Amino acid sequence: MTDPLVLLQILWTGAATSSIFVLLTIAFSLTHKVTGLWNFAQAGFMGIAFYAMFFVLSELQLPLIVALAAGAASAALASVLTEIFGLDVLRARKSGSLMFFIFTLILAQLIIYVLTLLFGTEPRTLYKSIMWPVRIVGSIAISNWDLQAVAIAIAMVTLLFLFLKTTREGQFLVAVSDNAKLAELYGISAKRAYRVTAVIAGLFICAAMYLAGTRGGVTPNSSFELVLAATIATLLGGMGRVFIGALAAVMLALIQSFSVLVISSRWQNLLLYGFLFVAITLFPRGINFRRLKSKPKAAASAPATVGKPADVAQST
Amino acid sequence: MEYILTIMVLIAIFVILSSSYNLVIGYGGLATVAHPIFYALGAYTSALFAIHFGLPAVVCVLAGAMVAVAASILLALSALRVSGDYLLIASLGFQLGLLQVIKNFEFTGGPGGISAIPNTITGPWRTPAYLLICGGIAVLTVWLIARIVHGPYGRAIKAMRDEELAFSALGRNPITIKVVVFAIGCGIAGIAGGLYAFYFQYVSPDQFEVLQSAAMLTMVVLGGMGTTLGPAVGAVVLIAIPQAITFLNLPPAVMAPVQGIIFTSLVLLFLFLRPSGLVGPLSRNRMAGRTALQEQSEGAAE
Amino acid sequence: MLPQAAFHNTRGRVMHFKCIPALDRRRFLQGTAAAAMSASLGRGAWAQSKDPLKIGVTMPLTGSQAGYGNDFVIGMRQSLADLNDAGGVAGRPLELVVLDTQAEPALGINAMNRLTNVDKVPVILTAWSSVIKGQAPSANREKVLLINTGANAPEIANLGDFVYSTFPLADVDITALAKYTYDKLGKRKAAVLYINNDTGIDAAKIYKDVFEKAGGQVVAYEAYDPKATEFSGMLLKVRAANPDMVHVHGLIADVPMVIAQMRQLGLQQRISSYSAGYNQKLIDQLGPAAEGFIVTSLAPGAADNPRVPAFLERWKKEQNRLPNGLPYIQYQYDSVQMAAQLYKHVLENKQEPTGETMREALLAIKEFDSPMTGKTVIDGHRVRKPVFLLTVENGQFKPLAKLD
Repeated sequence: MTDPLVLLQILWTGAATSSIFVLLTIAFSLTHKVTGLWNFAQAGFMGIAFYAMFFVLSELQLPLIVALAAGAASAALASVLTEIFGLDVLRARKSGSLMFFIFTLILAQLIIYVLTLLFGTEPRTLYKSIMWPVRIVGSIAISNWDLQAVAIAIAMVTLLFLFLKTTREGQFLVAVSDNAKLAELYGISAKRAYRVTAVIAGLFICAAMYLAGTRGGVTPNSSFELVLAATIATLLGGMGRVFIGALAAVMLALIQSFSVLVISSRWQNLLLYGFLFVAITLFPRGINFRRLKSKPKAAASAPATVGKPADVAQST
Repeated sequence: MEYILTIMVLIAIFVILSSSYNLVIGYGGLATVAHPIFYALGAYTSALFAIHFGLPAVVCVLAGAMVAVAASILLALSALRVSGDYLLIASLGFQLGLLQVIKNFEFTGGPGGISAIPNTITGPWRTPAYLLICGGIAVLTVWLIARIVHGPYGRAIKAMRDEELAFSALGRNPITIKVVVFAIGCGIAGIAGGLYAFYFQYVSPDQFEVLQSAAMLTMVVLGGMGTTLGPAVGAVVLIAIPQAITFLNLPPAVMAPVQGIIFTSLVLLFLFLRPSGLVGPLSRNRMAGRTALQEQSEGAAE
Repeated sequence: MLPQAAFHNTRGRVMHFKCIPALDRRRFLQGTAAAAMSASLGRGAWAQSKDPLKIGVTMPLTGSQAGYGNDFVIGMRQSLADLNDAGGVAGRPLELVVLDTQAEPALGINAMNRLTNVDKVPVILTAWSSVIKGQAPSANREKVLLINTGANAPEIANLGDFVYSTFPLADVDITALAKYTYDKLGKRKAAVLYINNDTGIDAAKIYKDVFEKAGGQVVAYEAYDPKATEFSGMLLKVRAANPDMVHVHGLIADVPMVIAQMRQLGLQQRISSYSAGYNQKLIDQLGPAAEGFIVTSLAPGAADNPRVPAFLERWKKEQNRLPNGLPYIQYQYDSVQMAAQLYKHVLENKQEPTGETMREALLAIKEFDSPMTGKTVIDGHRVRKPVFLLTVENGQFKPLAKLD
């Protein structure tokens, strides 16, 4: 099984498929970077994006561009609404991370139940067929889906990078993620930054679900698995490092794909969780990027940072 | 009647689970979500001991608790050095990873689980007997935890939770306390697992997934984290309501999603309207995550 | 306890009143029974005679298996309607009490508890192997007849005195398929891919054993996680092993993806699966890649059973679509017919319908004329039926063979 062509094939197909996870990881990781939250409600937004696109394509029979717009708009809207009516309220109350965990998870569950009610639980695909034309390039099978996935992922990552680096709005996001309190002093609105992040997350989620839904069946419950994978990649990438997180997503997918050569496929998931656990526990004692930034520690009477959840077991 | 008694047995088991979970997250301040895995370890161990060694039920349940404690120490020593968000995700990884292992081994029954756990109490009084046992242990658990928390050791736990830095500065080792609290909480969860295994005579890995973590967490938070009776109230409410909804006689195809929608909406409503939980005081000071100093600065008494 | 005693009394009395015309005797019985009943339950005197005969049903109505679960229930309801239109059993209508399991054992146990203790049904129709395994201890303890109508894990036959399967278990169709693959298709090297759950693990083992016993070689034997979506590593392993046949034992959520990725990686071997693959959606999603795909079916098609086309027509008219898993649904239809026959037998013998009497009836009758699936013979705790093979030709499922 060390045939280089086989390894190359796994490399290509694995990397192409990982595009879905790259996009989801970026959504998750960017949200965590800017808001400090593990936003598990994104599992719900994934469902919203997919079913919006599905509805437009299959029931309304409108062209793809309309479907994509609908998916992006609905995911972004759901994300922003959650920000405004859910997360902002919890922040104002200085809730702990467990509270946020419950809220986002239960919200995701609620959304998924609603989607189940509306669409049922059969696997749905965005197009009727999941077969894509394949061309053989140097003995490697490359399907059009692969090409489209890689193209979309690269394009969106590049756009995001440019956005964060060159635009004012993007710079504000970075400022808020570094130190929200400080940013506020400079007149940058943290709330606005959170909402912009929510919109970006929605867009990335929609792109990811388009890819997932054109490759295989999606059910309302699919998103829980996906969000878990995004979480792990975010962690491995390191707090605040969105693009490294994306890279971690690719690495994880490749490791899983390659591991099949040595171990039985049914252990693939275990590998994932094992990685997660080992990576976390090997990090130095509770390294926390937020702690590393200058924050008034002595004046502990002030709440941690504007908008960040006060962690249960952490002192500020 | 039998049906209601069964629900009550389930409630009793979950009171044990949510109270012990509250010890870990509410009093101990350890943000873990892996409680279901210790529940699972207790259930599986008891089942396996009963099937392969034929030991009396009490021994099996205790064996289950021991295994849960051992696993919790393993997790604690590796992950409790980190805190906050990291601990949350590390515990998630631990839970899911261990579940994967359970699902892939023959001797744990694989994905199908273990069925045909030997019955320990036969006859028409089976369910009432179980209810008495589980209910008794539930009451004992709540009382025990209250004793621990309101005693001198409890003050140490609180100090560790609220001001870890000051605590270590005073020469106390927070890690020791964390491990002990964690071990107690998880051991009790292991006992609950054993009780479950013997009553329902069937355990499968699906019962211990992330959704179960969310359910237990919700019970504690909804009832009131860091209060004595809060988790018990949360357990009762969170089990009774979905069951009650099933009696609404909705058409079968929409029953479960509608049930889920009603249920999750209620939970979200509670989270926003009464964040300190059903049992928590009206002031919001008791919510997790606030340090003693923060509370002082808000002008409220501790 | 009280109703039981009352019945015994009336039974005793029946002996004395043999010469009284049947009508009067019946009214007398109704009167005494009703009086006893109303004494203990406070019901109206006439309520008892027209009380519906309840059949418990636990199926996934929500969750990933709901597509099948709901259609199973629809098939059962059609059967129920037919029975009630024909007058019910002993003049009493039949009623289905349907509860959701989400194909989860814990919910299945709960549903069963409710049916047993609240609705007091003597027989429960259920499906999905893991659910049945969870329900079995309760069934045996509470002495309720638990009948599997759609799951195929072979251990179901050994789950206890009160657990029976009227659906042929996996060893039946997989054995037939594996043998056919070797004998008739002439394949010698098979690859077995299976979903890592109860169904997959047991079935894959059976296929392997049978195929190897026939003389063939299983060159690849891989399990995949139920939640997996990327199979290239596994499929390349299979490609390297160079099989001439690939058997994929999975569900409609994953099999199309496995096949799609297989074809795209250049594996052109013929593919087989079990009855879960007998689904139009698979052909929709795969297009030409589905050509030659072989599935098993445990129920006769239109060519073998004239009632089937009418059944299909009725379904299309009432539901405006095709059913999910027609052969399974045929079994669901028949299961309600069988339950009705059990009730008939029990009531004719003046017994009270309990799990025990219904079970005795099952064993006493032994051979049932099942309208949609042909004759059903109870053999221990299972049934033996012929296996039908179908293949995809020009985008349609066509019959391939019938194996007895």
